[in-house]
Amino acid sequence: MVEARVAQLTGVHAVSALGRGAEAQLAGVLAGVPAFGPVGRFDTAARRVTVAATVSEVGTLPDELAAAIDAACRAAGLDRAQRAGCALLLAVHGGPAVGPTPAVLAGQLATRCGLSGHTRVYTSACVSASTAVADAAARITRGDVERVVVAAGYLVEPDQFALFDAGRALAVDGAVRPFSAGRRGLLLGDGVAAVVLESSTGRRRGVDPVATVAGWGRAGDAFHPCQPEPGGTGLARAVDGALRRAGLPPQSVGYVNANATGTAQSDTAEAAALRRALGGHASRVPVSSTKSVHGHALEASGLLELVVTALALRHGELPVNAGWLGPDDSCPLNVVRNRPQRTTATHALTLNAAFGGANTALLVGVG
Amino acid sequence: MPGFVHSDFAPVVVAVAERCLRRAYGSAGVPAGMRTGIVLVSASGDLASAQHVRATVEAGGRIGPLFFFQSVPNSAAGHIAARWNLRGPVVCLSPTGDPYTDGVGEADLLRDDGDADEVLLILIEQAPDKPTEAVAVLLGGGARP
Repeated sequence: MVEARVAQLTGVHAVSALGRGAEAQLAGVLAGVPAFGPVGRFDTAARRVTVAATVSEVGTLPDELAAAIDAACRAAGLDRAQRAGCALLLAVHGGPAVGPTPAVLAGQLATRCGLSGHTRVYTSACVSASTAVADAAARITRGDVERVVVAAGYLVEPDQFALFDAGRALAVDGAVRPFSAGRRGLLLGDGVAAVVLESSTGRRRGVDPVATVAGWGRAGDAFHPCQPEPGGTGLARAVDGALRRAGLPPQSVGYVNANATGTAQSDTAEAAALRRALGGHASRVPVSSTKSVHGHALEASGLLELVVTALALRHGELPVNAGWLGPDDSCPLNVVRNRPQRTTATHALTLNAAFGGANTALLVGVG
Repeated sequence: MPGFVHSDFAPVVVAVAERCLRRAYGSAGVPAGMRTGIVLVSASGDLASAQHVRATVEAGGRIGPLFFFQSVPNSAAGHIAARWNLRGPVVCLSPTGDPYTDGVGEADLLRDDGDADEVLLILIEQAPDKPTEAVAVLLGGGARP
């Protein structure tokens, strides 16, 4: 009998204001202490909001991405020869006015890190990285490739900060409060992450996979250039796709790392999407948004959140939803509050949504 | 185009997309049940807006809120999706090779993988000294030439 092809996470690495390395991310999301503080990297005097979750000593984005890719490949036990031929899917902002263009950056990273396979650059805003992971998993499971590196990065910089401030998207109270009453908006955060996705070749090398990307889904709202569809239909279809690919029912989902940015309409739409996709299970499954501690890493958010979701599930404790003030009737969910929640669950969803009504769902499995 | 300012990026994206969809489906629109994805390929995204934001921030000025809403290429794709009820995935790429090849590769993956029945592929570039150029192609699905 031929073994079904799966997409395993064999090496992960991430950097955020919670610290450097995968274990620092897990410790940070379980501690549940928000990492937001005054931005010292550029002048914010003209902005309504002046805080973000930034890494204190950070390199350039190309250097941080190269280091993350190297670290993820080392974690996966890949030597230089095994990296050759490996594809690189990169998620970054698409229109930087300074620095290398995304395509040049991808080429430089592939050369620096010894990845000589196909490269693709995703610039789909806040679903860039999660779309890249979905594509990587699809290509691995259908047998196109054995191994893909997905990397993503966003470091808080003055232009996007000014844009989010101008759009009144940032939380003026300096806290991210997903699904909570009194939530005021999002806060930005640094995020650089890289993962190695492989078929069963990792296990054949003796590598113990961190987790499996068991399912994925991508769907559009068809609603508005930048607002989510209030009923959550697009995100619900993405969750449906992830469950269908995994061959699992809604009740198998033991945790949801929600997209929830702490924005009034978006969190409400996501709660509706969970009810639509998971039915009655939506009010029981533990939910949190780790953006409440590491902030919104924009194009990199999907990969940073995949890493923390996989690590938390494997560890058996679910991250706290920080910033909680009280329940909001429009978000009737079982939000993880106060302290991490022990779990024996084997599957978790990590969700992302973006401008343009773009939605993704990744279903992670362990055990 | 309401909601979009300063740059011709979004208007040109929408113009070629609507011509393409009208040729395929006329006034009837996309058939019910069809999941049409959008793949938007652009090397630099909305360069004119990004440069305006960079200059304004550098000078210590304030940015108009509409620039936030058009700060990523997804916004233009979302505008088309809303008008034409395109419920498939929205994917924006910066090409690492030939833009059409990159875009078709992504479109084929979305269709083969099952999240899209057809894909509206849009290629657009803004150059400093030339008019903005864009092409839209509908790939797969029930569209007839």
